[in-house]
Amino acid sequence: MRSLRQPGRFLTLILMLCLCAGLIALSFSGVLTPVEGLVAAPLNGLSSLFNRLSLSLNATFEELNNLGRLRERIAALEEQLARRQVESITLRESASDYVRLKNLLAYTSPLEDQEFLPADVIAVEQTGIARSIIINRGTRDGIGIGMPVTTELGLVGRIIQVSANAAQAQLINDENSAVSSRLQATRAQGSIIGQASGVLRLTMVDLDEVIEQGDLVITSGLGGNFPPDIVVGQVTSVRQFEFELFQEAEVRSLIDFDTLELVLVITSFEPIDLTVFESADAS
Amino acid sequence: MGRYLSVGVLGVAAALSASFLPHFIAFVGALLGNFTPLLTDARGQLNLVMILVICWSLRASLAEGFVWALVGGLCLDLLSILPVGASSAALMIIAYVVNSAGAHLLRLRILFLLAITALATVFMSAFSLIGLFMLGNTYDIASMVRLVLLPTLLYNLIAVLPVHAFVRLLQRRLEGGLQIAPHSLSLGSEMAARE
Repeated sequence: MRSLRQPGRFLTLILMLCLCAGLIALSFSGVLTPVEGLVAAPLNGLSSLFNRLSLSLNATFEELNNLGRLRERIAALEEQLARRQVESITLRESASDYVRLKNLLAYTSPLEDQEFLPADVIAVEQTGIARSIIINRGTRDGIGIGMPVTTELGLVGRIIQVSANAAQAQLINDENSAVSSRLQATRAQGSIIGQASGVLRLTMVDLDEVIEQGDLVITSGLGGNFPPDIVVGQVTSVRQFEFELFQEAEVRSLIDFDTLELVLVITSFEPIDLTVFESADAS
Repeated sequence: MGRYLSVGVLGVAAALSASFLPHFIAFVGALLGNFTPLLTDARGQLNLVMILVICWSLRASLAEGFVWALVGGLCLDLLSILPVGASSAALMIIAYVVNSAGAHLLRLRILFLLAITALATVFMSAFSLIGLFMLGNTYDIASMVRLVLLPTLLYNLIAVLPVHAFVRLLQRRLEGGLQIAPHSLSLGSEMAARE
């Protein structure tokens, strides 16, 4: 182990580490951002190619693996479809009533005004610790930090970093993600927090609120980080203790975050900065 | 030559680690999840770039090891939440230790490879975690060890031997290529002399 202590080699290591420290400092200050975007472009392209390849392979294997289960599922879905058709007739009646009333009140739902930009998922976070994805849209396409990312099945996350032609989105199941939410049925407020295991937890719900298995959780819009009424997931279990101030529930997102392929970025939404009011309160 | 080769090999490895491998591991994890409790909810990732840097640094010169560490780290950071240069610093320390200690432990190479891969995995995970903490993110350490570090350790230990074989093959090809070059030059000079 003598060579570990050789001064020439050790000095080279120190010099190289100084170079890395310089790179980190430049990266933090944002000086390297244009260069990073340029250098990352071929890597992103390559990742995108591999991603598409692996998703198609995965889909083929899964289809083969699930053939038996798919047949059972088709039968169950056909039965469900028959039931839903009856329901849809009733709902269509209600919908026509709703449209009439809406026109009367000149009510506009905030979601109707949203503009969506489709994007391909080209890479996933490599550290394994944080949960994020990289998409093939950036500032050139009008993407900005804080914009919510969704799919037709519900909320995926929010943009945290942007380059010219790519953006990184923090997923809602990341441990550092918090989404102000409410239960659709009871309108009880809470907060969706990501867990290390990947499941979502609805916290900060008052003890006197009723949470039931299967309840749908949607964004509340409180805090200004997400628009209201985007589906987050469905309650799978409830945890309530009398000695605690709040009750909790486990929530399952309808999205499979491991096989995300296409997402929608809500480009018309601008997150609201509430820190101004916090500092005003403090003073 | 190995220095220039690093850009292509490590670029492809980083792109694979960010796209194909997570899907492949998720698929295998789903298949084996029922038999191995360790893989239930596992979020670990195979760090192909780190393994390539270890295997290359074992036989190459320290300077070449540093180039591989620098390029590999940059490729990792460009596809990650960490600032550019963070992974390079960690990989350089690993390359330095591997290159310095590896020369003395050539007879125990397989054992050394497995041991250094395990240590490097722990080191890289701790380094990434510290980097993420410094960026303002907080994580539950116990869950991270169970769900990220242990599966990553398993994947890296499984992958290190085949990757080492691949890297040796590549290095031998390069060494062979370098031996042919002077020979072909001398043939050329002989022909010129005949003329």
